[in-house]
Amino acid sequence: MILTRLISTRHEYDTLFAVYVPIAAGVFVVIVIAIAAAVFRYRRRPPEKAARWSEHNGLEAGYALLLTATVAFLLYLTFTAEHRVDTVSARERPDLTVDVTGAKWEWQFTYPSYGIVVRSGTVGHQPLVVPINEAIRFRLASQDVIHSLWIPELRFKRALIPGATENVTLTFTRAGTFPGQCAEFCGLRHADMVFTVRALSPGAFADWARAHARGG
Amino acid sequence: MRGGAIPLLAWATLLVVLLAINWIWTGDAIQVGSFAFAAAAIFAVALALIVGARRDALRRGPPQPTRDPETVPAASLGAVLVAVAVASIVFGLAFGHFLVYFGAGLLVVSLGMVLREWLAERRQRRAWLERERR
Amino acid sequence: MTVHSPPLRAPRWRSAGWVGALTSTDHKRIGLNLGLASFAFFLIGGVLALLMRAQLAEPNGQLVSDNTYSELFTMHGSTMIYLFVTPMAIALSMYLVPLQIGAISIAGPRAALTGFWTWLAGGLIMQSGWLSAGGAGRAGWFSYVPLSNGTNTPGVGQDLWVLGVILAASGTVVMAGCVLATIARRRAPGMALLRMPVFTWTGLVTVLMVVGSFPVLIVAMILLYIDRHGGNIYSGFSGAIDYQDLFWFFGHPVVYVMFFPYLGAAAEAIAVGANKRWFGYKAFVASVMAFAALSMSVWAHHMFTTGGVTNQYFAFTSTALVIPAGIEYFDVIGTVIGGAVVLRCSMLFGLTFFVQFLIGGLSGIFVASPVLDYSANNTYFIIAHFHYTLFAGSVFGFFAGVYHWFPKLTGALLRERLGKLQLAVMIVGTNLTFFPMFLVGEDGMPRRISRYAEHPGWATLNRLETAGSAIIAVGVAIFLVNLWVSLRRREPAGDDPWRGHTLEWATSSPPPPLNYEAPLPPIRSYAPLLDLRQHAEDREREKAPA
Repeated sequence: MILTRLISTRHEYDTLFAVYVPIAAGVFVVIVIAIAAAVFRYRRRPPEKAARWSEHNGLEAGYALLLTATVAFLLYLTFTAEHRVDTVSARERPDLTVDVTGAKWEWQFTYPSYGIVVRSGTVGHQPLVVPINEAIRFRLASQDVIHSLWIPELRFKRALIPGATENVTLTFTRAGTFPGQCAEFCGLRHADMVFTVRALSPGAFADWARAHARGG
Repeated sequence: MRGGAIPLLAWATLLVVLLAINWIWTGDAIQVGSFAFAAAAIFAVALALIVGARRDALRRGPPQPTRDPETVPAASLGAVLVAVAVASIVFGLAFGHFLVYFGAGLLVVSLGMVLREWLAERRQRRAWLERERR
Repeated sequence: MTVHSPPLRAPRWRSAGWVGALTSTDHKRIGLNLGLASFAFFLIGGVLALLMRAQLAEPNGQLVSDNTYSELFTMHGSTMIYLFVTPMAIALSMYLVPLQIGAISIAGPRAALTGFWTWLAGGLIMQSGWLSAGGAGRAGWFSYVPLSNGTNTPGVGQDLWVLGVILAASGTVVMAGCVLATIARRRAPGMALLRMPVFTWTGLVTVLMVVGSFPVLIVAMILLYIDRHGGNIYSGFSGAIDYQDLFWFFGHPVVYVMFFPYLGAAAEAIAVGANKRWFGYKAFVASVMAFAALSMSVWAHHMFTTGGVTNQYFAFTSTALVIPAGIEYFDVIGTVIGGAVVLRCSMLFGLTFFVQFLIGGLSGIFVASPVLDYSANNTYFIIAHFHYTLFAGSVFGFFAGVYHWFPKLTGALLRERLGKLQLAVMIVGTNLTFFPMFLVGEDGMPRRISRYAEHPGWATLNRLETAGSAIIAVGVAIFLVNLWVSLRRREPAGDDPWRGHTLEWATSSPPPPLNYEAPLPPIRSYAPLLDLRQHAEDREREKAPA
């Protein structure tokens, strides 16, 4: 058996965030200071004093090169992260498979290997229970319109489009109770299409699954 | 007129480059199709300009003065009614089919009005040229 | 010296009074009518936004029903995009491009007039949905299938929405075609392509994008209409993806249609305010052309979370937008440096446009990364991002244009002090409304929900946003007061109050029916009036020592 590193979407997001946001903040500060300084320095002069030069193509070309290098750097980070999230994670042999069905306006989570079905949304508030540090394959399908599985804790969402089943492989890395919601407007009671995720340690999850599998 | 087709050709060429990358990278029929439509639309406008003005539409440099007279309309009721006619046809699809028939009739009338305005303009331009020649 | 052919005027049907104003084929009148109608739609769309903000001021708000809330966000987005920012962009080009390139009229004046009325009829038909039994369109401004089909959103209101979009888009394409033909065919003698003003270039790329992308929207909407009436066009997974592809093929370029003319307006206001030629003209022209072409090929970054598109291509093109956008910021700074800056309202709005748009642009690079978008997509982070581009950006650019060209349009000056008050109030309101949306979105609040549970912090942030939106409304009200005061008690502006650079300042305010009565000044660059002034200064300097 080949062991691959578990892919945490949360971790990938946080890593990219830590690069993108400081760069953006830095660029913002530099440009605002440059504009403000230029305006302050050259304000209230007689119009005849204004300089007549209006071009410096060498400088602009240099600036464009700097921008191109920045783009290349950001794309490199993004592409490698995207490869891990979308491709590498899909190669992982999942420890658990959950069928997710969206319908106006409820979530149905089915655990085929345990025979458990939980529902949430306008029909009830049963949580989606998952083990942590294990790869979970979600098989996403919709019965009517487009919905979107959105779990802010994982910094991940994926659309549920009727007519096809899409697979995503996700991993929770910390135990706790997290909110989840439909993120694609799906009609009248879209706002009520919510659910709760309970992430448990693998042992606690096994206990939960056994208890409910027996009951169901 | 001078050089009018140049920016269109340049821009449409940029689109074709991006379209080629899209084609290679995605191979998605509907994406390539929409993209090809956009490039073709711009090329078609450029072509129309070239047909209208021949070489001038491709020549660089500033436009030269012309002594051709031109007529400039001040107002056009016909043009407004064309829009009203089209709108009532479309609105009629949801509101009631009588509006579709009304709009179709109005469209014929209003196009006739535009044609009349246009013919009058042409007559006036001819008359002016006649006077100039004398 | 330029020679104009003697213009002949066609037999008039009637051109006096309000009938004349509504049937006029003068591009200035059409542009003004289009601008006024768009601005009226802006006020309507703004009221819808205020209602939404009032609903969201408290968790589990009870002000409006879920159904009404769906109508509110659908019609707010649709009104702002199809009926305000896009047509206002065309209105600026319609009014100004012929003046800036020394043309006496627009190409195809009758077609332009038909286009305006078609667009207006589309807008009214879309809004008429409010009067229908089931209410207005309520499937969102992009009305994804299958939600927007006849089964999931039945009713005449959604039909009227589809038909309204078809007409509004058709009218917009026709008007854009007229502006395009004007630039191609009607430049004055001497006005070579690389002597066209900066605003005209932004207008040119705008209409190129409209001609290339809007027909795809019209096709998508006609197919949607057929689908709604039993046509079964968009079926299954691929049907849903196809609709999104077609829609966003229009839907992303339109974002830049709603950006470029305002960029051009801000650029003109800044160049004139700095009393200096726009910096890096050729690089600017090349960058807006590349910018516009790239922006035709980024559309599916709206579809990163569908699993139906090649995310990497669209991440590549979307991130590459950094390069032309960066050039534009470089040019702003280059224009101000060495200038003689006068901080009038037009200049201040123009600079604010660039500063605030920067937040929208930088957050745009963030969401151009699929991994980051998997989180941000369909949350308030996205709402914050595009409101920083469209409201904090384009609307401020629009006001820069208003303060810059109002004297040209009316012959009267707007009050500067009221303008500065408006600017200050709007900066506060805008950032108070939209910045907290980044935070609440990052925390996971999805868009388009009429109620939210009590997550820690959400209520406070949402209350701030609601307060901010009320402050924006005050800012807009100050502008309306300014309009009223300035038109009632006119301060005459003269032909060229700001020492303008471009040809529209070489004619009277407002310009005569055929734009120019005196011969045009010689056109040797993209700032012909500045050339004249500098030439005169040089002559004076030569004389002085003698």
